[in-house]
Amino acid sequence: MSNSSVGQSLPRPDALGKVTGQTRFSGDLSRPGMLHMKILFADRPHARVKHVETGNAQAAPGVMAVFTARDVPVNEYGLQIPDQPVLCGPGSDKPNTDIVRCMADQIAVVVARTESEAEHAVKMIEVDYEDLPVLTDPLQAMKTDAPILHPDRGDSNICVHYKIHKGDMDAGFKSADVIVEGEYHTPVQEHAYLQPEAGLAYLDEEGRITVEAGGQWTNADQSGISHALGMPDDRVRVIYPAIGGAFGGREDLSVQIVLALAVWKLQQPVKIIWSRRESIVGHGKRHPITIRAKWGATRDGRLVAAENELIGDAGAYMYTSNKVLGNAAITSSGPYFIPNFKTDVYGVYTNQLPSAAFRGFGAPQALFMAELQMNKLAEKLGMDPAEFRLNNALQDGLTMNVGTPAPGPVSIIQCIHAARERFQWNKYRRRRTKPHIRRGRGFAAGFKNVGFSFGYQENCWAKVEIHGDGDIERVIVHHAGAEVGQGTHTVMRQVAAQVIDYPAEKIQLHTSDSATQGNPGSASASRMTFMAGNAIKGAAEAALAKWKTEERPAIAEYKYLAPRTTPFDKETGHSTPNFSYAYVAQAVEVEVDIETGQVRVLRVVSADDVGKAINPDLVVAQIEGAIVQAHGYAVVEDYRTENGRVLTDQLSTYLIPTIRDIPEKVDSVLVEVPDPNGPWGARGLGELPFLPLAPAIAAAIHDATGVWIDEIPFTPERVLRALGRIR
Amino acid sequence: MTLWQNYLRPKTVAEAVDALVHAPGPALPIAGGTDLLLDLKQGRHAPVHTLIDLTFIPEMTLLELRGDELFIGAAVPVNRIALDPLTGRHAQALAEACNLIAGPQVRNTATLGGNVAHALPAADGTIALTALEAQAEVAGVSGTRRMPFTSLFLGPGKSALDKSAELIVGFYLPKTGKGQASCFKRIMRPQGVALPILNCAVWLEREKDIVKDVHIAVGPGGATPFRATEAENTLHGQSFNSETLTRTLESLLGQAQFRTSARRASADYRRHIVGGLFMNVIETAWKRAE
Ligand SMILES: Cc1cc2nc3c(=O)[nH]c(=O)nc-3n(C[C@H](O)[C@H](O)[C@H](O)COP(=O)(O)OP(=O)(O)OC[C@H]3O[C@@H](n4cnc5c(N)ncnc54)[C@H](O)[C@@H]3O)c2cc1C
Repeated sequence: MSNSSVGQSLPRPDALGKVTGQTRFSGDLSRPGMLHMKILFADRPHARVKHVETGNAQAAPGVMAVFTARDVPVNEYGLQIPDQPVLCGPGSDKPNTDIVRCMADQIAVVVARTESEAEHAVKMIEVDYEDLPVLTDPLQAMKTDAPILHPDRGDSNICVHYKIHKGDMDAGFKSADVIVEGEYHTPVQEHAYLQPEAGLAYLDEEGRITVEAGGQWTNADQSGISHALGMPDDRVRVIYPAIGGAFGGREDLSVQIVLALAVWKLQQPVKIIWSRRESIVGHGKRHPITIRAKWGATRDGRLVAAENELIGDAGAYMYTSNKVLGNAAITSSGPYFIPNFKTDVYGVYTNQLPSAAFRGFGAPQALFMAELQMNKLAEKLGMDPAEFRLNNALQDGLTMNVGTPAPGPVSIIQCIHAARERFQWNKYRRRRTKPHIRRGRGFAAGFKNVGFSFGYQENCWAKVEIHGDGDIERVIVHHAGAEVGQGTHTVMRQVAAQVIDYPAEKIQLHTSDSATQGNPGSASASRMTFMAGNAIKGAAEAALAKWKTEERPAIAEYKYLAPRTTPFDKETGHSTPNFSYAYVAQAVEVEVDIETGQVRVLRVVSADDVGKAINPDLVVAQIEGAIVQAHGYAVVEDYRTENGRVLTDQLSTYLIPTIRDIPEKVDSVLVEVPDPNGPWGARGLGELPFLPLAPAIAAAIHDATGVWIDEIPFTPERVLRALGRIR
Repeated sequence: MTLWQNYLRPKTVAEAVDALVHAPGPALPIAGGTDLLLDLKQGRHAPVHTLIDLTFIPEMTLLELRGDELFIGAAVPVNRIALDPLTGRHAQALAEACNLIAGPQVRNTATLGGNVAHALPAADGTIALTALEAQAEVAGVSGTRRMPFTSLFLGPGKSALDKSAELIVGFYLPKTGKGQASCFKRIMRPQGVALPILNCAVWLEREKDIVKDVHIAVGPGGATPFRATEAENTLHGQSFNSETLTRTLESLLGQAQFRTSARRASADYRRHIVGGLFMNVIETAWKRAE
């Protein structure tokens, strides 16, 4: 085809605007007569709100209105279950909405003529609290005598419990020649996207409440807002302006409902921009998980049994904990065949900030354990860690731990080979530079499901229009999938261009608007290229068929339905939970300064099976970006709290990697084993390269120094403590 | 959000002091603003009415030799100090410290005066000036006076300046003579975002293998910028070898007071790493003095 576009590194149409500062993010938007909003957050992690005194704030200069719990028609929201009050306080008819359960809870909003007037007035609101006992540790919170945080949702703080059970554990461990047991701790991670939460809301020309604020799923935002306002969905419209990063942190609502509430009550445009502190305290974080594991293998290097218990801190509300922990359950075996397997995964409510979706969705935590268990077993067996993985790798036809075969083709073996070769693993020689500098290499692998699934029928909508007479003059693609910076708008054009044989850069894209488009599903779970690709491909093929039968204009809508999946069986986890997986392997080299404890990552080789690289440059950008973020997770970022309060609530205390911290070299190897259901074979990629980095670095630190560190992050102090050099 | 109501750009030190005393208050000097504006924005500093910008005062942006001293204006941005050949020659520790502060954007605007006036016990420029035995020139209503560097500090974040009437005009440093040299290094992640975990500066004078004179500063080693005077006494007049250095380090450890900072480092970690850092710094300075 002359306009072949799939497989080409076409430039991003949004790049120029972003680097020149022309692009308008939600914080850049304004409207005539616009008012400004400021939110009063809870200033303690657990308390009953007895009274909210707004009189002084209401009388303050410039103030148009102050809203509290009383003003919210249906005072609840939540992506999976509506367990969080929109505003905490007395006076709403939902039970227990007067209870603050974490510092992210909102108490009241002030709307004023200017931002500083709103800010001034919000400080004049007086809240009368009755403090309640603060639960910060999920292991305490899951005990039967712990105070219950959501009494209307049962008599336990355990909000998620999944079991996977296959085979005979006793017999399995009896046949093992070596057994490794460990306890692992993974930390909270902050998304730290460039753009803090912001939004502008107004009534559109049809009188609909319209919210322009970055998110990851237009329809979910829309129904969350309409539910809280007690309105039908079609009275609410959600539009995405440019979005400055998301990584899962924008899946849950932040400013949207209160903006919509204010517009509805005041009938005037209202805007809000969060500060960095408000952003850090105001949105969910990556789940910290405590993991106990016991794995056994035979002398000849075959896994025979693995038993895990994962206890995840869900924080104060559900958010996507049920989905995240489901993925943790699946990935807690690593991409390996284990004949006898048992995993118990718990999510527990506490008074910490809610745990939320974050790139990898539970897999980085589970794989930190699984891959370290693999490295430790390989060491005990005296086997090469890559070789040991190949021995046990999942393959086509083998059943997964949920009792059904993985959807094929399974490509973990190809990824391990690719990473090993590019790294020159077998030729590695440790270089000595200075006496206190130690070098080492580490290996790890991973896999991740594409899409939400677990019984949920994954779907994605698209519409394509072809205009012209004899020749095609105009192609319009309608799709609401969120461009969160990953480049999905580029890929959408490429897909339509390929089908219609039309230049990609000429395709007009009508982006994220819930009023004009069908459901795209979330830009998360590595699903957008797979799902939108199939949807747009379907719509473009249908439109092209109409075009060929002389229909003018040729317009077609298409809803892609992914293959059916089933949820976990309650006792055994038996299921077909997903329709597609992607696989990855990484090899790294690190340098450890045994005097200061500092860890530098010298080189990362990441071999990712993307099925088909629809835009290879964007794939490499995703790999490099994920590795930088995973490097932060593994080495730099150190989230601290004290009794439910966030200590690291600024980027000057919550440090993220800079250009000088990140791995010196990242080698991306694009493996392409097509998925029969993916568009042109594409799988999902966004989360994949994040997954094995922390355990690979841990293995390399062990290779360099001889110590295992079972807790992330590998800060200088933790390294020195492991080396026995400080207390 | 408005962070101030009134912004002044005086052209002389006298005008600036006058503004500080007479402009509608609260009034504060501002140089690079890299500390002050963040503190105001994040609500960690009481609101101000008037900001007095010091960077348009020619006197305060000079970096020059004056007799046998080097003068560095308080409003000179730290990137200029890092790159100027005069600092390279006469205040190498200071040039090294300034080159490590933050990243390039912050270095282009942050000043040495701001680094010192903030009175933090581990600010990089401050620790280098401590070892270099700088003197500060301070201007007030009744004119200017010189203050020994360490007398500027009362406690963490507290300087001895009268904030409502005094400014730092600049710093005087003795020129580096024969057999003299200095060095600064620090421990933290590669790019500064805030204060280092630990830093150390040494100035010394050598005669063959004898340490004729030595100044040692470590941050944070106490509530104010810490000068390791006991370690200096231990090494003074001794020959430079591993045995005297080990004793010097023992004195340093005996005098320094390391603290645990909740978000940055534990006292134990600082005690552990100070030895390696100190040895590295003093050996480098020693070689340079050859
Ligand atoms: C991203 C980032 C990274 C940083 N990294 C480092 C680092 O690695 N090492 C380090 O030491 N610091 C670091 N800092 C802290 C800081 O920026 C520097 O200490 C800087 O030198 C302060 O100078 P300034 O001119 O910006 O001060 P300003 O913010 O202008 O002023 C600071 C304070 O000093 C007062 N003041 C300023 N000049 C005078 C004067 N001449 N007389 C009296 N009072 C005065 C002001 O009123 C104010 O109270 C960092 C800051 C940022 C934002």
